[in-house]
Order: sequence, then structure tokens, then C-alpha cells
Amino acid sequence: MISLDYDETLQAAAGHQAEEIRERIMREHPGEYVLAVEGNAPTGDGGVYCTVAGRTFLDILKESAEGAKAIIAWGSCASDGCVQAASPNPTGAKPVHEIIHSHPIINVPGCPPIAEVMTGVLTYILTFDKLPELDRFGRPKMFYGQRIHDKCYRRSYFDAGQFVETWEDDGARKGWCLYKMGCRGPMTYNSCSTFKWNNGVSFPIGSGHGCIGCSENKFWDNGPFYTRLTNVPLPGVESTPDKIGKYAAVAAGVGVAAHAASYAANQGIKKAKKNRQTKKLLESDKEE
Amino acid sequence: MAKQRVVVDPVTRIEGHLRVEAMLNESGVIGDAISSGTMWRGIELILKGRDPRDAWAFCERICGVCTTVHALASVRCVENALGIRIPENANIIRNIMFLTQMVQDHVIHFYHLHALDWVDLVSALGADPSKTAALAQSVSPSWPKSSPGYFADIQKTLKKFVESGQLGLFQNAYWGHPAYKLPAEANLMAVAHYLEALNWQKEIIKIHTIFGGKNPHPNYLVGGMASTIDLQSDNAINMERLNMIRDLIKQAAVIVEQMYIPDLLAVASFYPEWTQIGGGLGNYMVYGDLPAKDISDASSFRFPPGVILNKNLSEVLAVDPTNPEEIREEVTHSWYEYPDQVASLHPWDGVTVPKYTGPKPPYSQLDETGTYSWLKSPRWKGHAVEVGPLARMLVGYAHGRDDFREVVNEALGRLNVPATALFSTLGRTAARGLETRLGIKWLQDEFDHLIGNLKGGDTLVADTSRWEPSTWPGEARGFGFTEAPRGSLGHWIHIKNEKIESYQIVVPSTWNASPKDARGQKGAYEAALVGTPMADPERPVEILRTIHSFDPCLACASHVLGPDGRKLAEVIVR
Amino acid sequence: MARRVHPINIIDVARSPHRYFRRKYVWQWPVRIFHWVNAVAVTVLFSTGLYISHPILAPAGEPFNNFVMATVRQVHFIFAFIFLINFLWRIYWFWFGNNYARSGFPFFWRRSWWKDLFRQVGDYFSLKRGHVHLGHNALAGLSYTIFVIGLGWVQIFTGLALYSESNPGGFWSKLTGWVIPLLGGSMQTHMWHHLFAWGFIVFAILHVYIVFYDGQQYKNGLVTSMISGVKFYRNGDLENDKWLS
Repeated sequence: MISLDYDETLQAAAGHQAEEIRERIMREHPGEYVLAVEGNAPTGDGGVYCTVAGRTFLDILKESAEGAKAIIAWGSCASDGCVQAASPNPTGAKPVHEIIHSHPIINVPGCPPIAEVMTGVLTYILTFDKLPELDRFGRPKMFYGQRIHDKCYRRSYFDAGQFVETWEDDGARKGWCLYKMGCRGPMTYNSCSTFKWNNGVSFPIGSGHGCIGCSENKFWDNGPFYTRLTNVPLPGVESTPDKIGKYAAVAAGVGVAAHAASYAANQGIKKAKKNRQTKKLLESDKEE
Repeated sequence: MAKQRVVVDPVTRIEGHLRVEAMLNESGVIGDAISSGTMWRGIELILKGRDPRDAWAFCERICGVCTTVHALASVRCVENALGIRIPENANIIRNIMFLTQMVQDHVIHFYHLHALDWVDLVSALGADPSKTAALAQSVSPSWPKSSPGYFADIQKTLKKFVESGQLGLFQNAYWGHPAYKLPAEANLMAVAHYLEALNWQKEIIKIHTIFGGKNPHPNYLVGGMASTIDLQSDNAINMERLNMIRDLIKQAAVIVEQMYIPDLLAVASFYPEWTQIGGGLGNYMVYGDLPAKDISDASSFRFPPGVILNKNLSEVLAVDPTNPEEIREEVTHSWYEYPDQVASLHPWDGVTVPKYTGPKPPYSQLDETGTYSWLKSPRWKGHAVEVGPLARMLVGYAHGRDDFREVVNEALGRLNVPATALFSTLGRTAARGLETRLGIKWLQDEFDHLIGNLKGGDTLVADTSRWEPSTWPGEARGFGFTEAPRGSLGHWIHIKNEKIESYQIVVPSTWNASPKDARGQKGAYEAALVGTPMADPERPVEILRTIHSFDPCLACASHVLGPDGRKLAEVIVR
Repeated sequence: MARRVHPINIIDVARSPHRYFRRKYVWQWPVRIFHWVNAVAVTVLFSTGLYISHPILAPAGEPFNNFVMATVRQVHFIFAFIFLINFLWRIYWFWFGNNYARSGFPFFWRRSWWKDLFRQVGDYFSLKRGHVHLGHNALAGLSYTIFVIGLGWVQIFTGLALYSESNPGGFWSKLTGWVIPLLGGSMQTHMWHHLFAWGFIVFAILHVYIVFYDGQQYKNGLVTSMISGVKFYRNGDLENDKWLS
């Protein structure tokens, strides 16, 4: 049985009565409760950017984690920092796994995650009394094992090379692949194209807009969302990889052209000099 | 009774992090109060330098409860800056999504965020199911689920739940508090409908999924919508999708007219004293929304814009959020810093520089004379104003709009109270319900309008002429707005060289939950709390009633972003 | 005065050998095969890569029987494996080939290597013929190390990691999947793979130019040596390759 005891958005109690519940769970059920964290802790300036009951979120998170059996990082905020951790991360927001190192952490990313995925992860732990198998990013393989792209119903259009070029073109109406509109399906691991959203009604690609990759690590800094490739994140360089590549190629071309030109000029000068010398010699011959 | 300071932190059943400190006088009445947003994430700083077409996605994550409203305001401000006029169908679809959001949000607010302030869950255990059935049938004769057996089943479930000792979300609340006035039967009915609403809210929202691909956080698009319409394609909005939308609207109409509104009026009739409490500022502001065709034509708005000062319903003042003299934000009591000590800034010139000067956590009390919140204090021509459903209903009413007058007068008549009763905590809660009635009616209208357009052969949903950044001016400023469920929302953008130069957001809860300004004028929450009598300072249900009547959304107010960043949910595994 | 070519005069050869070229087998066949396979593979990979990132010319009608993107990707993958095998082949030959097969190695701990590097740079800037290597000079070796070896490894690992995404948990995923979290996700991996591909273009421009420039300067069969394997040298030229052995 799941007993959701402390959830600020829904719980009836407020103020110190609400905090009492949290304290009681920690006292009475050490090592038994699952801590599901939504959001993440701002760590900048001692954590003042988020306080609850006069205490920092950072402080409460660390305290609550201590007696937890396992920690679930619900959503992209908790599992990878999400939008508040996007550059320049003004509050120093950090995902749970960068703060808590002592407990197993299950990342369930997505902004938000699919509801069925959330309940699936939780009930898996309850039903089988073990933690799900995780991938390299700490995500349950059962829901984040494959890319949206590999299971997308528009995949046939991708393979055919048929792409939406502008919103409202014929391809858009026929449901062609949104790859060229910046769809992140090929880089995003999630179950959207299989479970779909809100009881299977649709999912972003199904409604004509590309995926923005919301279950991928630091996806906010993988923009702009409507281009195929993200900008190069080097400091001072804010450009697309193609632009940089073309500039580099042009620079190389200009470099060799300049070298070739100066070589040719140099050869010309040498030749002219030689010609003058020959001429002089011939002339002096004549005089003699 | 001695003077006392009551601290509620966290204020739960809201979005975001809110702290309220109320100072009681000798007679147990709140003499002064402060409201503090205790979180900040800095969305405006994060947006700088990004592609304006991406901004909606960032902004949408400001809040998971009022998802879509920020996206809507954001695409509108970019379109405004770039001079894009969206196709009529896109406008209708956005209106449908807007209204879907509003209807769902208001019902959720009433049942899941607000009802437990009025309904004593535990007392429902003692109710007689057949009497409950009789009560249910009398308040809503056509609502089908009102048999004694149905209520007996609900009661059984509730009993098992309480006896297991695991109250879960409902533990440790103020059950048995003397301020709860409903008879046991009414409580049981409300509990049953709490569960019904919980089931239904995930249905109505499918409209967002159809047009935006998912909810929370459906997709928007600068220039219109991405959900193409093609009646001859099974890969676009077609008859199957339209049927689903029509059915969902019908279902929502039943829920609102036969469950929500009857419940609202029934509960309200037991708390007449709350029409005298929590009025607060008496100044109301609305930007307006729901254009017939084009957002630039304010005269076609279903929600007319305007400002009412000092409860004076005979005069509606014009509001222009792009006028730098009208809307200005102050940071006198906020944890921000303005350059060169300027007193206030218009959002187009706005800056967001955090500077925490509050007590070092952990702290037990904030200083009302110093800085105490992550919210700024926006003011309209220097006035503190309230925004939200009550403001919208009052402005519509004062404008003399028939649809507004009809629902307001009917409700006032049913409760047998004068129009002045609206200036109260209960008035705010009731206005939300009345607005939902309008919302349902308009939702049907908008849908019919869409079908009409499709009949005429117009299926366009996006204007792509200004999609490419190369078609943009080198520099542009834009303003985008909407009426979010919680009130007027504005986004101000400054685009330079195809990038966001600056972005400022002033959200409804910043208006409502704002700290005092330099002249000492309280924000709407603070003002509304003053004068509230409290029966038991240890269990401040009265504070929750008034605060919840505003439907706070602090995630938005402090631009804290995300459906998340808000809660620490704990679950016991057994 | 133009240099005249006379019929070979044995006495003159014996008297002043520096005026005459001799043949030497420099590039063994594995090196030559590597070079040309690599050139073709990189060309195909770059052009198919461009299509994959910016597909054009969509076929009309149903996706049935149209596999443009799928085919281009298949070609990209096939040539990627050719590139990889060729690459490993060249590594093998680095150890088992002749000294010239190793001449591109950056001996950066040796003074002589640095000296040669600066000397070569100086030669190019002063537009002088300078000294002649039969193997790679230090600058050429360095550029191969960066552009061919370094870039090659980067593209192999990022490419295989991206390739492995279609079969999570499979062989390639186990072998190279770690690259994706290292670079911060699939999106970033795509970006770096794409950006570094341009490195080959930059390299090709520099490489082809320098080959013809040096060929023109040295007149020692440099351009044709990648086909025949043979270069020509005069007295003293071999001295410049001494630091190799």
C-alpha cells in the first residue's frame, strides 16, 4: 500500500503541522520510507533561494534522505537540474544525485515525466521489492531504455527521407517526420512514443510539434529547439557547428590561397630579376 | 488573549513556496500580516541570449499547475515584438486551451486545494448515507451519482482509510476545528465529489494533449500552433480528434453545472460570515483576454480589461501595461537590488538582481520592517491591486456585460446576499465558480466557431512568414499577456540581433502575494488577512481560507519555474 | 638561366652527384592503400553526413519503397566501418612497416623534432625550398597526428556511440556507450561529431595544397609517390630523415 504522507501541493495540513508529519515519518520509519524528491536544491548563497519553514531546501533534503530506503528523483528538476540549472544557473541549483551520495537514487526525468512512468517506477519497487535496473544516467531501463525516435510512428517517413520543412506545409498535414524542425526524438530516451500522454491520447510529435528532449540531461542548454543541432557550447563561441566548420574551411582556403599567391608573386619577382640580369648581360655584350 | 505571531510555513495546497506571518492583536484578530515567497530561480536571467522562439518552453516551466499560461503569454510577446498575426484558427485553439486550463484549474482548486478548508473530512464518517443522498439530490437534481449506496460505499472506503491509521495526505490537519460548520452529510458529499473531481480532471485536460501533445506543458509555437488541421488526414487534427474534444467539453459542462456549482453554493450557504471577511484591497485589475480574432483588438475580448479602484463598480479605468507610467515594480521589501537606488521600474526596463538580506536560515521569523520576500511589489499607477477571478468578474460586471451580470446576479440571488458580498474571501471563491460557468459556455462557443471555420475551408493554424530569424528586425520590443486562472499575467520581451536581450515577467501571484511597497501599501494577501478573527492560533484554518481563496501560485510569483522545485513527497513503503 | 637536361654523363655524375636524383621506395603498398581508402571513406562519410544532418530532395508519395535517409545512413555506417578497419590496419602497419611508415610520429620529446618543426614552418613562410624529407617532416607528422589520428579517434568513438544508440545494451553500446554521458548526452555527442567532421575538410584543403606546393618545390615525385610508392632524392636529402630511426 502506498501512503502519500507529505506532499505540499495536496496535503491537508499546513505550517508546522505539515512539517510534523515529515519529522514523524523519519522518526518512526527509518530505513523504510521512499523519499521522492520533486525539484532541486539551490546551493548558491547557502541555499537561501528556497526555504521551507524557515529552513533551506538543501538542509531538509539532506535530513530527509538520511533514513530513506531509496530516493526517487521525480522529474527533470530533481534528476538533472532542469530549467533553473540551465546556464547560467543563477541559484546554483543541483540535482539530487549531486547532493546525496549515500543512497541509491533513481532518476525519473521528464518535464514532467509521463504519469504512467511515475506510477510504474513506484509500484515496481513495491511489487518486486527491488530497485529497477538503471541506465548510464540512473534512469530505469524499463522506461528510458530506447529512443523516442526508434519507436516513433513517423519513423517510416524518416527512413524515406520525407520531412516537414515548414509548419503548415503538405508534409506537416500528412504527418511527415519532424526531424528538420528540430525534433529531439532521435536523442531522447523516453516512452512517449509507446505509452503516449494522458492515457494514450497523443504525444508531442503526434500533435505536430517536435520533441524538445525534456527527459535528457541538461536539455535546456541543447537549444535552440528548432534547429537540428545544438550550438557549440564553448565560451565566447555562440554558433552552430556548421557555421564554425565553414568558417574554419574558408580560413584554411584563404590561408593556402594567400600562400600560393605570395609564392607565385615571389617566383615572378625572381624571374623578372633574372630576366633583367640576362638583358643587362646581353646589352653589355652588344656594347662590347 | 495576548498578542501573538502566527507563522504558517509551508502554506500547503498551493503551488510553490509561501510563508505567511500574521500578527494577532489582543482580541485574537489579525492586525497585520506579511506574505513571503521563499524561493527564487531566476528564469529571466536564464532566458537572456536565447532564441525568442524557444522562450515559451522555458516560461511554461515556471509552473506546472498553471501550465500553458506562461507559454501563451510568451508566444504572444514574441509575436507582438515581431509583428506576427496568428491565423484565426490558431487564436481559437489557443482560446480553447486557455479555457480548458481555466476550467480544470478552478475545479481542482475548489476540490483539492481549497475544499478542505471548509470541509471536515473526518466528520463525514458520522454522516447518514441516505440523508446525504437526499441532500445531494436536492442541491443537484440531475447529477446521476447520488444514491444512498454510492455514498455508503464512499463512506466505507473513507472508514477503512481512517481506521488503517494511515491518513496519508489528510493527516494532521485541523479536523474538528470549531470553524468547520458543514453538517456531516454535506461533508460526506464533498468528500465523494473530491474523488469524482480527481478522476475527471485528467479527462478534460486531454484537450491540451490533442493540440499540444501532452499535459502538463503542452507545446506552443510562435506564429500559431503546430497541430495542423487536415480533415482528410489521420495524422492531423481531424474528425476523430474533434469528436473527442466535443465530448470532453460536454462532460466538463456536466461536472461544472451539476457538481461544482451546486457544491460551491451549498458550502457557501453555511459560511455567510465569510462574505464579511477577507475583502482586502478593494482594487482590482484585469488585462483581459480571449480575443475573437486578434489579440490587438481589446474590444473583442470575452474578458474585458480594466481597473476598479476602491470597490467602485460604477467606474472602470483603462489599463495599458505597455505604458511605462502605469505598471512599475518595486523591491523595497524584496530580496533584490535595483541599480542606482531607483525606486521602481517598468518591466521593459526591469532588472533581476538577487540580493538576499533576510535572516540566515534556519530562521523562525521574518522582519516586516525589512526585506522579507523573493517577490517584487508590482503596482498599477502606484496602487496595490488584486488580480484573479474576482477581479475579472467584477470588471466584466462593471462593464455591464450581460453574460457576467447573469451568472453573478443568479448566484447572489441564490445565496441571498448583496453584490458587496463579493468583496470577501467567499466572494473570491464564488467568483472562481461563476467564471467557470462562463468558461464552459465559451468553450462550447469557441469549439463551434472552429467547426464553422473548418466548414468555410479555413484550416490554417500557423503563420510562418516570420519564422526565420533573418526576417526579423534588428531590435524589437514586445508585450504578451493573458488572464491566467489566478489573474493577469504579463511578459515583456526585448529582442536584439535575433536573441533575447531582456525578459521580464509579472505574474498574478506577484500582484496578489507581493510584499509591502515603499509607501507601506500592503499586497493583496496581506491586506485580505487583516481583520480576520482566529479561533485557535495553533490551528490557523482561517488564514488558509483567505490565502487559498486567492489560489496562490508562488512558483510563478517568484518565477521559480517548473512543476517542481516545490515539494518533497514522502511515501511509506510497507 | 634555365637548367638544361643533358643525357646522363657518367663522369659528371661521379664528379658532382648532388645534381642527380636517385629512386627510393618510400610508401609501401599498405600505406598507399590506407591513404586512398581513407580519402574515399572520408569523402563519402562527410557527404553522407551532410545529408543526414540536412536532408534535402524529399521523395513524393507514401514512405513505402522510399528509403532515401535509411540508405544514406546505411552507406554512412558501411563507410564508417571501412574507415575503422582501415584505421586499425594502419595502426598495425605503423609497427610492422618500414621506417617511413612511422615517420609521422610526433617525437615531441626530441629536440631534433622541434627543430625540424620550426625549420619547416620557417621554410613555408619564407617561401623557400628548404630541406627535403622523403618521409614526413615534423609539421606534416604533427598535422596527421592531429587531423587524421586524433580526429579519427574522436569520430570513431562519437560515431560508434551514436550508432550504438539504436541498440541500447548491445555490443557497441557496451564498448562505446560511455562516450554519451561523458559528452553530456546524445545531443551534445551529435554536435561534436558534426563539428569535428569539418576538421577533415580543413585538413583536406591544407593537405592537398601542401602536397602540390612541396611537389612543385622539391620536384622529387612527391605527388605520384602515393600511387607508385617511389620518391626521388639527391645527396643529402636522406640526412633529413635520420632523426627517424
